[in-house]
Amino acid sequence: MGPETAGTHRYRRSPLAGRGARGGGAAGPPPPPDEVLARRAALGDKDAFSQLVERHGPSLHRYAYGLLGDAQDAEDCLQEVVLSAWRAFPSFRGDASVRTWLYVLARHQVHKQRAARAVAPAGGGRPPLDVDEVAEQVRDTRPGPGEENVEAALLAALEAALRLLPERQRTAWVLREVEGLSYAEIGVVLSTTTSTVRGLLERARATVASTLEEWR
Amino acid sequence: MSEQPAARGGAGPGGVPGAGAELAARAALLLRQHTDAGWVAVRESVVSRALHAFRPSAPVRGRHAAGDYFVASDVLVAALRRAVDLVPRVAATRITCTTGEDDELDDVVVELVAAYGVRLLEVAGQVHAVAREVLGDLLGPLAPAAERIRTHVHLGDVSDDPRVVG
Repeated sequence: MGPETAGTHRYRRSPLAGRGARGGGAAGPPPPPDEVLARRAALGDKDAFSQLVERHGPSLHRYAYGLLGDAQDAEDCLQEVVLSAWRAFPSFRGDASVRTWLYVLARHQVHKQRAARAVAPAGGGRPPLDVDEVAEQVRDTRPGPGEENVEAALLAALEAALRLLPERQRTAWVLREVEGLSYAEIGVVLSTTTSTVRGLLERARATVASTLEEWR
Repeated sequence: MSEQPAARGGAGPGGVPGAGAELAARAALLLRQHTDAGWVAVRESVVSRALHAFRPSAPVRGRHAAGDYFVASDVLVAALRRAVDLVPRVAATRITCTTGEDDELDDVVVELVAAYGVRLLEVAGQVHAVAREVLGDLLGPLAPAAERIRTHVHLGDVSDDPRVVG
Protein backbone atom coordinates (compact mmCIF):
# COMPACT_ATOMS: atom_id res chain seq x y z
CA MET A 1 0.00 0.00 0.00
CA GLY A 2 1.49 3.28 -1.07
CA PRO A 3 1.61 6.36 1.07
CA GLU A 4 -1.15 8.05 -0.88
CA THR A 5 -3.70 5.36 -0.26
CA ALA A 6 -2.70 4.10 3.12
CA GLY A 7 -5.45 2.60 5.17
CA THR A 8 -7.91 2.16 2.38
CA HIS A 9 -10.76 -0.12 3.34
CA ARG A 10 -13.03 -0.75 0.45
CA TYR A 11 -16.27 -2.62 0.24
CA ARG A 12 -18.46 -2.42 -2.80
CA ARG A 13 -21.96 -1.35 -1.99
CA SER A 14 -24.08 -4.45 -1.82
CA PRO A 15 -27.76 -5.26 -2.12
CA LEU A 16 -29.65 -4.45 1.02
CA ALA A 17 -31.00 -7.95 1.39
CA GLY A 18 -28.46 -10.64 0.63
CA ARG A 19 -28.96 -14.20 -0.35
CA GLY A 20 -26.86 -15.26 2.59
CA ALA A 21 -29.58 -14.25 4.99
CA ARG A 22 -30.83 -17.00 7.18
CA GLY A 23 -34.22 -17.05 8.71
CA GLY A 24 -34.25 -16.37 12.41
CA GLY A 25 -36.01 -18.34 15.08
CA ALA A 26 -39.57 -17.85 16.11
CA ALA A 27 -38.67 -14.84 18.27
CA GLY A 28 -36.83 -11.69 17.33
CA PRO A 29 -35.93 -10.15 14.01
CA PRO A 30 -34.09 -12.20 11.43
CA PRO A 31 -30.30 -11.92 11.63
CA PRO A 32 -28.47 -9.55 9.31
CA PRO A 33 -27.73 -10.88 5.84
CA ASP A 34 -24.21 -11.95 4.95
CA GLU A 35 -23.54 -8.79 2.99
CA VAL A 36 -24.22 -6.58 5.98
CA LEU A 37 -22.06 -8.69 8.26
CA ALA A 38 -19.28 -8.71 5.68
CA ARG A 39 -19.44 -4.96 5.35
CA ARG A 40 -19.19 -4.57 9.10
CA ALA A 41 -16.39 -7.14 9.35
CA ALA A 42 -14.48 -5.21 6.71
CA LEU A 43 -14.73 -2.18 8.97
CA GLY A 44 -13.31 -4.09 11.91
CA ASP A 45 -16.48 -5.37 13.58
CA LYS A 46 -15.40 -8.59 15.28
CA ASP A 47 -18.88 -9.57 16.39
CA ALA A 48 -20.12 -9.39 12.81
CA PHE A 49 -17.20 -11.54 11.68
CA SER A 50 -17.92 -14.09 14.43
CA GLN A 51 -21.53 -14.30 13.29
CA LEU A 52 -20.42 -14.98 9.74
CA VAL A 53 -18.08 -17.72 10.87
CA GLU A 54 -20.77 -19.28 13.05
CA ARG A 55 -23.11 -19.21 10.08
CA HIS A 56 -20.79 -20.79 7.54
CA GLY A 57 -18.27 -22.64 9.70
CA PRO A 58 -20.18 -25.93 9.89
CA SER A 59 -20.52 -26.31 6.13
CA LEU A 60 -16.94 -25.18 5.51
CA HIS A 61 -15.70 -27.70 8.04
CA ARG A 62 -17.82 -30.42 6.48
CA TYR A 63 -16.38 -29.57 3.08
CA ALA A 64 -12.79 -29.47 4.31
CA TYR A 65 -13.12 -32.67 6.30
CA GLY A 66 -14.70 -34.43 3.36
CA LEU A 67 -11.79 -33.57 1.11
CA LEU A 68 -8.98 -33.95 3.61
CA GLY A 69 -10.34 -36.94 5.52
CA ASP A 70 -8.57 -36.03 8.72
CA ALA A 71 -9.89 -34.08 11.70
CA GLN A 72 -6.63 -32.28 12.44
CA ASP A 73 -6.16 -31.35 8.79
CA ALA A 74 -9.72 -30.05 8.65
CA GLU A 75 -9.14 -27.92 11.74
CA ASP A 76 -5.91 -26.54 10.30
CA CYS A 77 -7.73 -25.77 7.07
CA LEU A 78 -10.57 -23.96 8.84
CA GLN A 79 -8.09 -21.99 10.88
CA GLU A 80 -6.37 -20.74 7.74
CA VAL A 81 -9.63 -20.03 5.94
CA VAL A 82 -11.05 -18.01 8.81
CA LEU A 83 -7.78 -16.15 9.26
CA SER A 84 -7.60 -15.39 5.54
CA ALA A 85 -11.18 -14.19 5.55
CA TRP A 86 -10.58 -11.85 8.48
CA ARG A 87 -7.52 -10.35 6.82
CA ALA A 88 -9.09 -10.12 3.39
CA PHE A 89 -12.54 -8.76 4.18
CA PRO A 90 -11.41 -5.13 3.75
CA SER A 91 -10.60 -5.94 0.13
CA PHE A 92 -13.60 -8.19 -0.51
CA ARG A 93 -15.38 -6.58 -3.46
CA GLY A 94 -18.64 -8.45 -3.20
CA ASP A 95 -18.55 -9.71 -6.79
CA ALA A 96 -19.51 -13.15 -5.47
CA SER A 97 -21.59 -13.93 -2.42
CA VAL A 98 -19.78 -14.18 0.89
CA ARG A 99 -20.55 -17.88 1.07
CA THR A 100 -19.08 -18.53 -2.37
CA TRP A 101 -15.99 -16.52 -1.53
CA LEU A 102 -15.47 -18.53 1.67
CA TYR A 103 -15.65 -21.76 -0.35
CA VAL A 104 -13.08 -20.35 -2.75
CA LEU A 105 -10.75 -19.73 0.20
CA ALA A 106 -11.49 -23.19 1.60
CA ARG A 107 -10.83 -24.96 -1.69
CA HIS A 108 -7.52 -23.16 -2.16
CA GLN A 109 -6.47 -24.08 1.35
CA VAL A 110 -7.47 -27.71 0.81
CA HIS A 111 -5.36 -27.77 -2.34
CA LYS A 112 -2.45 -26.30 -0.49
CA GLN A 113 -2.62 -28.87 2.29
CA ARG A 114 -3.15 -31.77 -0.07
CA ALA A 115 -0.18 -30.69 -2.13
CA ALA A 116 1.95 -30.30 0.97
CA ARG A 117 1.07 -33.76 2.20
CA ALA A 118 0.91 -35.37 -1.22
CA VAL A 119 -2.53 -36.82 -0.52
CA ALA A 120 -3.50 -36.76 -4.15
CA PRO A 121 -1.67 -36.57 -7.45
CA ALA A 122 -1.14 -33.08 -8.83
CA GLY A 123 -3.65 -31.69 -11.28
CA GLY A 124 -6.76 -32.84 -9.47
CA GLY A 125 -6.57 -36.34 -10.91
CA ARG A 126 -8.52 -39.27 -9.61
CA PRO A 127 -7.36 -40.40 -6.18
CA PRO A 128 -5.45 -43.66 -6.17
CA LEU A 129 -8.35 -45.82 -5.02
CA ASP A 130 -9.39 -49.22 -6.16
CA VAL A 131 -13.03 -49.19 -7.25
CA ASP A 132 -13.64 -52.77 -6.19
CA GLU A 133 -12.10 -52.07 -2.84
CA VAL A 134 -14.41 -49.09 -2.30
CA ALA A 135 -17.42 -51.10 -3.45
CA GLU A 136 -16.47 -53.68 -0.86
CA GLN A 137 -16.22 -50.96 1.78
CA VAL A 138 -19.64 -49.69 0.81
CA ARG A 139 -21.11 -53.18 1.10
CA ASP A 140 -19.47 -53.52 4.49
CA THR A 141 -21.30 -50.47 5.78
CA ARG A 142 -24.69 -52.05 5.18
CA PRO A 143 -26.59 -52.37 8.45
CA GLY A 144 -27.35 -55.90 9.57
CA PRO A 145 -30.83 -57.22 10.27
CA GLY A 146 -32.39 -55.28 13.12
CA GLU A 147 -29.54 -52.81 13.22
CA GLU A 148 -30.85 -49.39 14.17
CA ASN A 149 -28.19 -47.00 13.00
CA VAL A 150 -29.10 -47.09 9.34
CA GLU A 151 -28.44 -43.40 8.91
CA ALA A 152 -24.86 -43.64 10.16
CA ALA A 153 -24.32 -46.60 7.87
CA LEU A 154 -25.68 -44.67 4.90
CA LEU A 155 -23.41 -41.71 5.68
CA ALA A 156 -20.44 -44.04 5.87
CA ALA A 157 -21.39 -45.52 2.53
CA LEU A 158 -21.68 -42.04 1.02
CA GLU A 159 -18.28 -41.11 2.37
CA ALA A 160 -16.81 -44.16 0.72
CA ALA A 161 -18.59 -43.39 -2.55
CA LEU A 162 -17.34 -39.80 -2.56
CA ARG A 163 -13.77 -41.01 -2.21
CA LEU A 164 -14.09 -42.39 -5.72
CA LEU A 165 -14.64 -38.95 -7.17
CA PRO A 166 -11.90 -36.67 -8.46
CA GLU A 167 -11.68 -33.48 -6.45
CA ARG A 168 -13.60 -31.26 -8.87
CA GLN A 169 -16.47 -33.71 -9.19
CA ARG A 170 -16.53 -34.18 -5.48
CA THR A 171 -16.54 -30.44 -4.81
CA ALA A 172 -19.32 -29.95 -7.37
CA TRP A 173 -21.40 -32.76 -5.87
CA VAL A 174 -21.00 -31.62 -2.26
CA LEU A 175 -21.59 -27.94 -3.00
CA ARG A 176 -24.70 -28.73 -5.03
CA GLU A 177 -26.30 -31.68 -3.27
CA VAL A 178 -25.36 -30.91 0.32
CA GLU A 179 -24.73 -27.18 0.52
CA GLY A 180 -27.22 -26.08 -2.13
CA LEU A 181 -25.04 -23.74 -4.15
CA SER A 182 -26.21 -22.80 -7.63
CA TYR A 183 -24.33 -23.95 -10.72
CA ALA A 184 -23.05 -20.41 -11.16
CA GLU A 185 -21.75 -20.27 -7.59
CA ILE A 186 -20.05 -23.65 -7.99
CA GLY A 187 -18.55 -22.34 -11.22
CA VAL A 188 -17.00 -19.47 -9.27
CA VAL A 189 -15.57 -21.85 -6.68
CA LEU A 190 -14.13 -24.13 -9.36
CA SER A 191 -13.17 -21.26 -11.69
CA THR A 192 -15.13 -22.78 -14.53
CA THR A 193 -18.32 -22.40 -16.53
CA THR A 194 -21.79 -23.53 -15.54
CA SER A 195 -21.84 -26.01 -18.40
CA THR A 196 -18.66 -27.60 -17.08
CA VAL A 197 -20.23 -27.72 -13.63
CA ARG A 198 -23.22 -29.47 -15.15
CA GLY A 199 -20.95 -32.08 -16.69
CA LEU A 200 -19.01 -32.60 -13.47
CA LEU A 201 -22.26 -33.06 -11.58
CA GLU A 202 -23.65 -35.54 -14.07
CA ARG A 203 -20.58 -37.73 -13.77
CA ALA A 204 -20.45 -37.35 -9.99
CA ARG A 205 -24.12 -38.21 -9.58
CA ALA A 206 -23.78 -41.27 -11.76
CA THR A 207 -20.77 -42.53 -9.80
CA VAL A 208 -22.33 -41.89 -6.39
CA ALA A 209 -25.64 -43.46 -7.40
CA SER A 210 -24.07 -46.57 -8.88
CA THR A 211 -21.77 -46.96 -5.88
CA LEU A 212 -24.63 -46.64 -3.43
CA GLU A 213 -26.51 -49.32 -5.34
CA GLU A 214 -23.98 -51.67 -3.77
CA TRP A 215 -25.16 -50.56 -0.37
CA ARG A 216 -28.81 -51.53 -0.84
CA MET B 1 -30.70 -30.19 -17.10
CA SER B 2 -32.26 -28.05 -14.42
CA GLU B 3 -30.49 -27.13 -11.22
CA GLN B 4 -32.19 -29.80 -9.18
CA PRO B 5 -30.68 -32.35 -6.85
CA ALA B 6 -30.11 -35.71 -8.46
CA ALA B 7 -33.10 -37.56 -7.09
CA ARG B 8 -35.45 -34.89 -8.39
CA GLY B 9 -33.55 -34.31 -11.57
CA GLY B 10 -33.58 -37.98 -12.39
CA ALA B 11 -30.49 -40.11 -12.42
CA GLY B 12 -32.20 -43.27 -13.50
CA PRO B 13 -33.45 -44.34 -16.91
CA GLY B 14 -36.17 -42.22 -18.44
CA GLY B 15 -35.74 -39.50 -15.88
CA VAL B 16 -37.02 -41.78 -13.10
CA PRO B 17 -34.73 -41.66 -10.12
CA GLY B 18 -32.86 -44.89 -9.62
CA ALA B 19 -32.54 -46.48 -6.21
CA GLY B 20 -28.91 -45.36 -6.00
CA ALA B 21 -29.87 -41.78 -6.80
CA GLU B 22 -32.56 -41.85 -4.14
CA LEU B 23 -30.08 -43.16 -1.61
CA ALA B 24 -27.66 -40.44 -2.62
CA ALA B 25 -30.31 -37.78 -2.10
CA ARG B 26 -31.17 -39.26 1.28
CA ALA B 27 -27.53 -39.38 2.29
CA ALA B 28 -26.99 -35.78 1.15
CA LEU B 29 -29.91 -34.68 3.30
CA LEU B 30 -28.47 -36.53 6.28
CA LEU B 31 -25.09 -34.96 5.72
CA ARG B 32 -26.68 -31.49 5.55
CA GLN B 33 -28.49 -32.06 8.84
CA HIS B 34 -25.52 -33.66 10.50
CA THR B 35 -24.01 -31.58 13.30
CA ASP B 36 -20.34 -31.78 12.70
CA ALA B 37 -18.71 -32.63 16.01
CA GLY B 38 -15.38 -31.56 14.57
CA TRP B 39 -16.65 -28.05 13.96
CA VAL B 40 -18.22 -27.79 17.41
CA ALA B 41 -14.87 -28.71 18.94
CA VAL B 42 -12.82 -26.15 17.05
CA ARG B 43 -15.09 -23.19 16.39
CA GLU B 44 -14.15 -21.08 19.40
CA SER B 45 -10.42 -21.40 18.94
CA VAL B 46 -10.68 -20.83 15.19
CA VAL B 47 -12.53 -17.54 15.59
CA SER B 48 -10.46 -16.38 18.53
CA ARG B 49 -7.14 -16.97 16.80
CA ALA B 50 -8.28 -15.16 13.68
CA LEU B 51 -9.51 -12.13 15.57
CA HIS B 52 -6.22 -11.84 17.42
CA ALA B 53 -4.25 -11.97 14.21
CA PHE B 54 -2.66 -8.92 12.71
CA ARG B 55 -4.61 -7.37 9.87
CA PRO B 56 -2.39 -5.70 7.26
CA SER B 57 -2.71 -2.00 7.83
CA ALA B 58 -0.84 1.20 7.06
CA PRO B 59 0.51 3.47 9.80
CA VAL B 60 -1.03 6.86 10.48
CA ARG B 61 0.95 9.42 12.42
CA GLY B 62 -0.44 10.90 15.61
CA ARG B 63 1.06 13.53 17.89
CA HIS B 64 1.30 13.98 21.62
CA ALA B 65 3.18 16.49 23.75
CA ALA B 66 5.61 13.69 24.54
CA GLY B 67 6.22 12.92 20.86
CA ASP B 68 4.79 11.37 17.72
CA TYR B 69 3.30 7.88 17.56
CA PHE B 70 1.57 5.69 14.98
CA VAL B 71 -1.91 4.27 14.82
CA ALA B 72 -2.81 1.50 12.40
CA SER B 73 -5.29 2.66 9.79
CA ASP B 74 -7.28 -0.45 10.63
CA VAL B 75 -7.71 0.86 14.16
CA LEU B 76 -8.79 4.25 12.84
CA VAL B 77 -11.36 2.67 10.55
CA ALA B 78 -12.77 0.48 13.33
CA ALA B 79 -13.03 3.46 15.67
CA LEU B 80 -14.79 5.54 13.02
CA ARG B 81 -17.19 2.70 12.31
CA ARG B 82 -18.05 2.36 16.01
CA ALA B 83 -18.66 6.10 16.24
CA VAL B 84 -20.88 6.14 13.16
CA ASP B 85 -22.83 3.21 14.62
CA LEU B 86 -23.95 5.54 17.40
CA VAL B 87 -25.62 7.87 14.92
CA PRO B 88 -29.22 6.66 14.63
CA ARG B 89 -30.60 5.25 11.39
CA VAL B 90 -27.35 5.25 9.50
CA ALA B 91 -24.47 2.80 9.01
CA ALA B 92 -21.04 3.04 7.41
CA THR B 93 -20.59 1.00 4.25
CA ARG B 94 -17.03 2.02 3.49
CA ILE B 95 -14.41 4.11 5.20
CA THR B 96 -11.31 5.19 3.31
CA CYS B 97 -8.30 6.83 4.89
CA THR B 98 -5.55 8.40 2.81
CA THR B 99 -2.20 9.51 4.18
CA GLY B 100 0.28 11.95 2.73
CA GLU B 101 3.75 13.01 3.68
CA ASP B 102 5.17 11.54 6.87
CA ASP B 103 2.14 9.26 7.17
CA GLU B 104 -0.07 12.13 8.24
CA LEU B 105 -3.77 11.66 7.60
CA ASP B 106 -4.86 13.74 4.63
CA ASP B 107 -8.30 12.54 3.84
CA VAL B 108 -11.13 10.47 5.21
CA VAL B 109 -14.15 9.34 3.27
CA VAL B 110 -17.10 7.84 5.09
CA GLU B 111 -19.75 6.28 2.88
CA LEU B 112 -23.11 5.58 4.42
CA VAL B 113 -26.35 3.76 4.01
CA ALA B 114 -29.20 5.71 5.57
CA ALA B 115 -32.71 4.74 6.57
CA TYR B 116 -35.42 5.79 4.17
CA GLY B 117 -36.86 9.18 5.15
CA VAL B 118 -33.93 10.31 7.27
CA ARG B 119 -32.81 13.95 6.93
CA LEU B 120 -29.65 13.44 4.95
CA LEU B 121 -27.97 16.77 5.61
CA GLU B 122 -28.58 16.39 9.32
CA VAL B 123 -27.15 12.87 9.31
CA ALA B 124 -24.18 14.00 7.26
CA GLY B 125 -23.46 16.72 9.79
CA GLN B 126 -23.67 14.28 12.70
CA VAL B 127 -21.35 11.80 11.03
CA HIS B 128 -18.91 14.55 10.14
CA ALA B 129 -18.87 15.70 13.75
CA VAL B 130 -18.30 12.26 15.26
CA ALA B 131 -15.60 11.51 12.70
CA ARG B 132 -13.69 14.65 13.62
CA GLU B 133 -14.04 13.85 17.31
CA VAL B 134 -12.71 10.32 16.88
CA LEU B 135 -9.80 11.47 14.77
CA GLY B 136 -8.96 14.15 17.31
CA ASP B 137 -8.94 11.58 20.10
CA LEU B 138 -6.74 9.16 18.21
CA LEU B 139 -4.34 11.48 16.38
CA GLY B 140 -4.14 14.54 18.61
CA PRO B 141 -2.99 17.72 16.88
CA LEU B 142 -2.37 15.79 13.66
CA ALA B 143 -6.04 15.01 13.31
CA PRO B 144 -7.44 16.48 10.13
CA ALA B 145 -8.59 20.07 10.59
CA ALA B 146 -11.67 21.20 8.72
CA GLU B 147 -9.81 23.75 6.60
CA ARG B 148 -7.02 21.38 5.75
CA ILE B 149 -8.63 17.98 5.47
CA ARG B 150 -11.65 17.03 3.45
CA THR B 151 -14.05 14.78 5.22
CA HIS B 152 -16.70 13.58 2.82
CA VAL B 153 -19.98 12.05 3.68
CA HIS B 154 -21.29 10.23 0.67
CA LEU B 155 -24.80 8.89 1.02
CA GLY B 156 -24.69 5.94 -1.29
CA ASP B 157 -27.89 4.12 -0.43
CA VAL B 158 -31.10 4.22 1.54
CA SER B 159 -32.90 1.37 3.21
CA ASP B 160 -35.88 0.67 5.44
CA ASP B 161 -34.34 -2.52 6.79
CA PRO B 162 -33.31 -2.02 10.45
CA ARG B 163 -30.75 -4.80 10.13
CA VAL B 164 -28.93 -2.68 7.57
CA VAL B 165 -29.09 0.75 9.16
CA GLY B 166 -29.86 -0.13 12.77
